[in-house]
Amino acid sequence: MLSPERLALPDYEYLAQRHVLTYMEDAVCQLLENREDISQYGIARFFTEYFNSVCQGTHILFREFSFVQATPHNRVSFLRAFWRCFRTVGKNGDLLTMKEYHCLLQLLCPDFPLELTQKAARIVLMDDAVDCLMSFSDFLFAFQIQFYYSEFLDSVAAIYEDLLSGKNPNTVIVPTSSSGQHRQRPALGEAGMLEGVEASLFYQCLENLCDRHKYSCPPPALVKEALSNVQRLTFYGFLMALSKHHGINQALGALPDKGDLMHDPAMDEELERLLAQVPGLVNSVTASPEASCLPSRTPPRVGSPWRPLHHSRKVDGESDGSTEETDESET
Amino acid sequence: MGGLFDIFLLLLPALLPRSRWTQAEGYKFRAGSAEVNCGLHLVIQTSSLPEKNKVEFKLNKDTSSFPGRLSQHDLERNYSSRQGDHINLVSSSLSSFPILQRSSEEKILYSDRLSLERQKLTVCPIINGEDHLRLLNFQHNFITRIQNISNLQKLISLDLYDNQIEEISGLSTLRCLRVLLLGKNRIKKISNLENLKSLDVLDLHGNQITKIENINHLCELRVLNLARNFLSHVDNLNGLDSLTELNLRHNQITFVRDVDNLPCLQHLFLSFNNISSFDSVSCLADSSSLSDITFDGNPIAQESWYKHTVLQNMMQLRQLDMKRITEEERRMASVLAKKEEEKKRESHKQSLLKEKKRLTINNVARQWDLQQQRVASIATDEDRKDSDSAQDPCQIDGSTLSAFPEETGPLDSGLNNALQGLSVVDTYLVEVDGDTLSLYGSGALESLDRNWSVQTAGMITTVSFTFIEFDEIVHVLPKLKIKFPNSLHLKFKETNLVMLQQFNALAQLRRIDQLTIDPQGNPVVNFTLWKYYVLFRLSHFSMQKINGTEVTQNDMIMAERLFGILAHVASSELPQYRLISILGDARKKQFRYLLESKGKKPGIINEENNDSKRPVGENTNRATLNYTTREFYNEKLEEIKEKKKFCKTYIEDLVKEATEINMKNEALQKLWPQMFIELVRDAVIEIRNKNSYMKLCLQQITDQK
Repeated sequence: MLSPERLALPDYEYLAQRHVLTYMEDAVCQLLENREDISQYGIARFFTEYFNSVCQGTHILFREFSFVQATPHNRVSFLRAFWRCFRTVGKNGDLLTMKEYHCLLQLLCPDFPLELTQKAARIVLMDDAVDCLMSFSDFLFAFQIQFYYSEFLDSVAAIYEDLLSGKNPNTVIVPTSSSGQHRQRPALGEAGMLEGVEASLFYQCLENLCDRHKYSCPPPALVKEALSNVQRLTFYGFLMALSKHHGINQALGALPDKGDLMHDPAMDEELERLLAQVPGLVNSVTASPEASCLPSRTPPRVGSPWRPLHHSRKVDGESDGSTEETDESET
Repeated sequence: MGGLFDIFLLLLPALLPRSRWTQAEGYKFRAGSAEVNCGLHLVIQTSSLPEKNKVEFKLNKDTSSFPGRLSQHDLERNYSSRQGDHINLVSSSLSSFPILQRSSEEKILYSDRLSLERQKLTVCPIINGEDHLRLLNFQHNFITRIQNISNLQKLISLDLYDNQIEEISGLSTLRCLRVLLLGKNRIKKISNLENLKSLDVLDLHGNQITKIENINHLCELRVLNLARNFLSHVDNLNGLDSLTELNLRHNQITFVRDVDNLPCLQHLFLSFNNISSFDSVSCLADSSSLSDITFDGNPIAQESWYKHTVLQNMMQLRQLDMKRITEEERRMASVLAKKEEEKKRESHKQSLLKEKKRLTINNVARQWDLQQQRVASIATDEDRKDSDSAQDPCQIDGSTLSAFPEETGPLDSGLNNALQGLSVVDTYLVEVDGDTLSLYGSGALESLDRNWSVQTAGMITTVSFTFIEFDEIVHVLPKLKIKFPNSLHLKFKETNLVMLQQFNALAQLRRIDQLTIDPQGNPVVNFTLWKYYVLFRLSHFSMQKINGTEVTQNDMIMAERLFGILAHVASSELPQYRLISILGDARKKQFRYLLESKGKKPGIINEENNDSKRPVGENTNRATLNYTTREFYNEKLEEIKEKKKFCKTYIEDLVKEATEINMKNEALQKLWPQMFIELVRDAVIEIRNKNSYMKLCLQQITDQK
């Protein structure tokens, strides 16, 4: 708690910067949302549960996009959840289209914007036709870069465009400006042989950007490393290099190395257990659906002390979690 | 002689139909020869005439289709002519025409008739001194032109049967002519009959006439024979006020008109023509005099409805196709006709319904297309906005919608307007066909509110949705579950299924055995994973078929392999309060729909509610994967936003308060040691002089008292 950084800032700003406020707000919001249910098993219990799940990274499951992308931790958690849930799709070897990946993302986050998926697909396909098939790992790593460094990449796009058009980017950088990716495409065509920008100059600009950038950005050292072995590069070339860069992936800490991407023994074990329960798999072709569904679909946390409360709730129509009464959250 | 003819001509029309001449194709009148009367030979005899003075002529209705019979006729005729006349044909040196001369004896004997049968004549001979001639017979010659008879002004009957005449001519002076027989010639056109106002019988059978014309002035005509010509239709019959018999057999007639303009027509023979519907001869129904008609040999006579239709439409008829019509038949006919009418009405109604259905579906499709186009244009708008403001996370609508491929080609605005201008009555269609309920257009969903009979509802096992947004269907699924408990097969076509998560919505149904998602208008089907996702998410239904393909065990395993972890993660890693709220939400939502749909019957709600709990409980790990429609979701987001705003200020206040307290606390912590020291110092200073301190204390105590 008493880190030196902690003392450098006023409390409030510190909490804000560390996104503690975000989680507190969200916790209270969730509490409000579900106050009927929660009041039955205790508010203290709820807060424990909430912050535990934040620590475990399971808090972003099925949440709205604005929350999922709210903090770097949330983003990492989402990336990890996506990888864990759909690793099997990649393992199966299916090549999917951008739209299909988008659907998978939407299974976890119903309002996930198509735009981000599109951008990720552009990284994989080097800005080519977006309807091509992609492998799971290619998409996942590209998506990681795009999703996690979304704001940073937008700024980079602006810098890149400025460099292309010969302006000195250091004078005019608006980090929060909208993406310039669409606008710079014609310029690429004109460039012809001398495609892209000079790597060293580009890096300087990026370093500059990283210093000032208030959103998360990849470690400059690693960026330098990624840029070290090329003279010139295009925007998508740069993104591709980022997405393939091993160190950046490690620094992010959401996904395993590419080689281990399909490896998740704990989940595999779980899957085997689930597969064993597929109706009619073992012997019972004639088994009724009810019977086959019953056995062990029970979630693993049976022992949880407040779990039995679950069934006592009789749903009533008017409890839609309205906001007008806030006192309850304090009692 | 004149008397005889009058009688004959009077009798003729009345007698003709009685004779069975359809079989003999011809008939003969002969005076005084009873021995050859075999049914079709009619004998008329007047006592005033001597035995030899017989009048014979043949009215050939048709050329015979019975050669044997014909040859017999010919023999008879030859015989009688040889017996009758002794004629000398003298070739005239002046002209090419032969001149006919009869002996005065014969002239006296047969003063009013002359027969030149089978004389191999190529032209009409010049007949002199026979001004009183009334009957003239040129049968079976080779005459090509009617000539040289204009002086025979008393002629009543002229028989030119079986010659080679190509044009009717040379008759303009024969004002008394009453019988004109021109059968079996080469006449192409009816003409030059202007002056023959007294014509009673006109026989033109076996010619090449294509059209009925130039006879409208023949108001005395009673018999007209046009059999075996090339007539394609019948009309232009007005003016024939006395016509009682009209023979039109063996033509190519397809329709008959004008017959109702014939006030006396009794016998009409239309056998062997090309009449195929009663409509084409409908004028017959309007003729009140017609009592005998034949249609045999026409396509119409093959129809099952032929007889009773004719009888029904022509109540005045006594004889049809040579058979007398009985009362019984007439009754049958009217019954049958009534039935026929009903059937027709029914089928008409059916086809009307079918047509209406077709139109409605077209209409719905059009509206759907328009709607899709509108959506697409909004989407492109949003897209543009997207690219402008890339970081706006709230543009779910635009971005998801833009994913729809546009199926309809762009309609130009003109066509668009025209389409809207059409009488657009129905915007939806509900159809129950056997066990299938088909819904077209979003309006059709309202039909689920209707009171369906238990029987119908129980029978329906297939429900098909076309041209309806899937999101709209989601809203009615609870109703569907209640109203059609047996529906096992769902079909979706043009329903804008674009996301896998949309299938989550189907999980709330009671049972699904089959699912058919038409690729048309459902882009989700293009995904490689969609089938597996359906199997995974709806595994509790243990479905049999998806899009017509049997579900195999391998499919099930594959589905589990692909998505099992998702379910596992969803159920086991979700914080418990979230799990409860997600499951609760789903149930609450259902409950709300139920309230809307069946507010009056709480019993059913409870039952249903209990029911709905069961499957949800059965596989909790999947139930967390549910689908909220876009509208609903946006609504929820909106709600959350407000809450968030509140939470933000609330937390802000709290944190501010806390940090303030903390700050004070820290300040206190900082000040406290000094304060403590000061306090101690003060105390020490105070008690340094023990005596004075004691005094002070005592003083205080006494003061208190």
